[in-house]
Amino acid sequence: MQWNGEFLAFFLLSVMAIGGAVFMIHFTRVVHMVLALAFTFLSIAGIYVLLHAEFVAAVQVLIYTGAVSILMLFGIMLTKHRTSDHSDSRSRHQLLSFVGVAAFFGVIMWVIYHTPFSGGKAETAKYTVANLGEWVFKQYVIPFELTSVLLLAALVGAVILAKKERDA
Amino acid sequence: MQAWMWLGPVIMLFVVLGFVTLAILFERKVIGWMQSRIGPNRVGPWGLFQTVADVLKLLLKEDIVPQKADETLFKLAPVIAFVPAFAVVAVLPFTDSLVFADIGVGLLYFIAISSITTIGILAGGWASNNKYALIGAMRSAAQMISYEIPLVMALVGVIMAAGTLNLSGIVEAQKEMWFIVPQFIGFVVFFIASLAELNRTPFDLPEAESELVAGYHVEYSGFRFAFFMLAEYVYVFAMSALTTVLFLGGWNPLFGFTFLPPLIWFLLKFSLIVFTLIWIRATLPRIRVDQLMQLGWKVLLPLALFNIFLSALLKEIPGIGSYY
Repeated sequence: MQWNGEFLAFFLLSVMAIGGAVFMIHFTRVVHMVLALAFTFLSIAGIYVLLHAEFVAAVQVLIYTGAVSILMLFGIMLTKHRTSDHSDSRSRHQLLSFVGVAAFFGVIMWVIYHTPFSGGKAETAKYTVANLGEWVFKQYVIPFELTSVLLLAALVGAVILAKKERDA
Repeated sequence: MQAWMWLGPVIMLFVVLGFVTLAILFERKVIGWMQSRIGPNRVGPWGLFQTVADVLKLLLKEDIVPQKADETLFKLAPVIAFVPAFAVVAVLPFTDSLVFADIGVGLLYFIAISSITTIGILAGGWASNNKYALIGAMRSAAQMISYEIPLVMALVGVIMAAGTLNLSGIVEAQKEMWFIVPQFIGFVVFFIASLAELNRTPFDLPEAESELVAGYHVEYSGFRFAFFMLAEYVYVFAMSALTTVLFLGGWNPLFGFTFLPPLIWFLLKFSLIVFTLIWIRATLPRIRVDQLMQLGWKVLLPLALFNIFLSALLKEIPGIGSYY
C-alpha cells in the first residue's frame, strides 16, 4: 500500500462518509440527522471522483445531496410533531447490541479477507461521459428503456394517488 | 505551476469579492438612474466606497445568536450557503487558457454544486427558530427545486448541439454561431429559470420584505448576514458567467473583431447579463407564490421539453442542421 495523495484523499473521504453516518445515528434531532446524511452523500460523491466516475459523482450530488436531502428536510420541517428522538438507554440492551454488531463486523471482515477478487483492474480512464452515453444507448438500451417505463409508471401512479386524496 | 495552483484561487476570491462590491454599487446606481434618483453619492467619489462602508458597518455590528435558536446549525448555515457559491467558480472558463478546473462534466458540476446552497438556506431558516425565517426558507427551497428542472432541461439543447458537457468545449462549439440564435427558446427558459434560482426579482419571494420581513436571514446580523448576501451575489457572478459561456459564445468575438482580447469580450458579454439582471429587477413586480409554481411547471418545463424535441428534429435537416 503506497502512501500517496490518492490514498490520503480516499482515507479522508471514507472517514467523512463513515463519520457522517455515525453522526446520523448519534444525533437526537431529526434535522441534524438529515444534514449528517447529506454530508455522507457528499463524501461518497468524492469517492466517485477518485474512481474517475465524474458523471456519477455529479449526479450523486445533484440527486442525493441536493434533491433527496432537501425533500427529507421539507417533510420533517412541515410535520413538526416529535422534533427530537430520545432513545431509552438500557445497559443490557446496549451490551447485547454491541455483541451483535461486533459479531457482524467479524463475519464481514472474515468474508472480505477470504473472498478472492478475480479479474484485473478496470481501466477507469475510459469511463468518460461520451463512452457512458454510448454504452447506455447502445449496449444497455433495453434495460435503460425498461427503467424509464418503470419510472413513468411510478409517476402516473403518484399522480393518481394524489388526485384520489383530493377528491375524497 | 505549483505557485499558480495555490495563488490562483486566492486571487479569484479577491476578484469575486471585488465584483460583489462593485456589483452592489452598480445595482444601486442603475436602479437609481431608472427611478430618476441619484443613488449613493456620498462616500468617496461617485459613491465608489459606499459598499465598502456598508461591509465595514456589517463587520462592526453585534453578532447576535437568538436564545431559542439551534446554535451550531445557526452558525454553520452561512458557511454551507457560501462554500458552494465559490466552489462553482472553479469550472468557469474565462478564456481558453484562464480556467481553473477543466473537468469533463463541468456543466453538471456547476448545477450539482449550486444545489447544495439550498441546504444552507433551509438550515439557516430552520435554525433561526422564527416563523418568517422558516417560511422564507421553505419558499426558497421549493422555488429552487422547481426551477432547477427547467434550468437543466433548457441546457439539454445546448449539450446536444455542442456534444459535450465540458464548458470549454461548449465555447469552442460556438465559434461559428452563438447558441443564443439556434437555441433561443432554450435561452429564454434558462434565463427565466436562472432568475428564479438566483432569488432575484421578480422571483424574490423567499425574501419578500413586505410579507416575510426579510425571509430566511431575518434573524441574522453582522458578518453572518453578510455571508448570505455574499453567497447571493457570488451566484450572480457565477450565473452570469455561465450564461455567457453557454449562450453568448464565451470569449468568442462578435463579427470577428479580434483586436479586443478574449477576456475583454468575455467581460463585455458578462456585464451585459449583469446589467440585464438589474434592469429586470427595476422593471418587473414580484409574482405571487401560486403564479410562481404555475410558471415553472406548466410553462417553462413544457417549453424546455419542446425545445429538446425541436433541437433533435432540426439537427437532422441538412443545411441548418450543423447549427444544432
